Amino acid sequence: MRRRRPGALAILILLAACAHDSRGSRVATGEAPVTPGAPAQAATEPGPAAETQVVPQTAASAPVSAPEGPAANVSAPAAGPTAPVASSTSSPSRPEAPKSRAGNQATVPKSAPVPLVGATAATPAAAALPLPKAAIPPPLDLKGLEQRLRDTGAIGLFTKLYLKNQVDDLLAQFKTFHQGQSEVTLGQLRQKYELLLMKVVTLLQDGDPALASAVSSSREAIWAVLTDPQKFAAIGYST
Amino acid sequence: MPARSILGLCGLTLLGLTGPVPAQAPSTGADLKATIALNGFPCDRVVDSKRNADSDYTATCKDGNRYRVYVDATGRVVVKKL
Repeated sequence: MRRRRPGALAILILLAACAHDSRGSRVATGEAPVTPGAPAQAATEPGPAAETQVVPQTAASAPVSAPEGPAANVSAPAAGPTAPVASSTSSPSRPEAPKSRAGNQATVPKSAPVPLVGATAATPAAAALPLPKAAIPPPLDLKGLEQRLRDTGAIGLFTKLYLKNQVDDLLAQFKTFHQGQSEVTLGQLRQKYELLLMKVVTLLQDGDPALASAVSSSREAIWAVLTDPQKFAAIGYST
Repeated sequence: MPARSILGLCGLTLLGLTGPVPAQAPSTGADLKATIALNGFPCDRVVDSKRNADSDYTATCKDGNRYRVYVDATGRVVVKKL
């Protein structure tokens, strides 16, 4: 017992030292993402304000663009916490985004904590790295997703056929929409699209969670293809 | 020791049960249930299913409702309450 006590004391001291170091490292590593996160929060704070300002303008200007407002509002929470930065930079108005980013960059040194002077040198690099990751969506592989949906065993044959019917119906509605012959608004198409995607993800999430997340993360990219007439024509859908 | 080994065996069994399960094709009942539910009919569980023909089934749900699930000539899945 007497021999073990000094060893235990040494272990305790070492543990305390490690805990102290880990706290320090957590602060250092935690604040590097926090500083980009703080501008992200600062960017998201004007983001909803910009969205709320944009939506009435578009609703007042054109009925077609009105559904894009709710579409953007729907997409922001669905894409996760990183998406609002991308959506706020892309959707509302591009000239405002660089201003806010420049403002954020200007506020970064102000909001940077004083004791971590060495870490602030790494914050611009750390802040520059996550932003492109959040801004650049993963490339859309429609053929691959389609093939994975065909091959997955998480959905039965009847259900797959039902989903295919639904997809064909939605694509037909988009086709008539792009031809200008549809009475359905883009907002209604968005609702149908969201509902169908929710059904697919719900059916997949238990049996094939990887495919479910792949479909879910491709939500906005697929929507961009559907709403762009040129991209929609490029996928070669024919009734 | 026997108690420990039994506990370890139980733990391994539980770990094996909670491990990743490969995606297998759902049963006909589960497929019919999903199809019935997607068509807007309530069906908690398919307790009985009868194959009438190719892609034509009669399913009985837990609440006693019976549905005919089939693929029509145009390739659409149709669910009819019987």
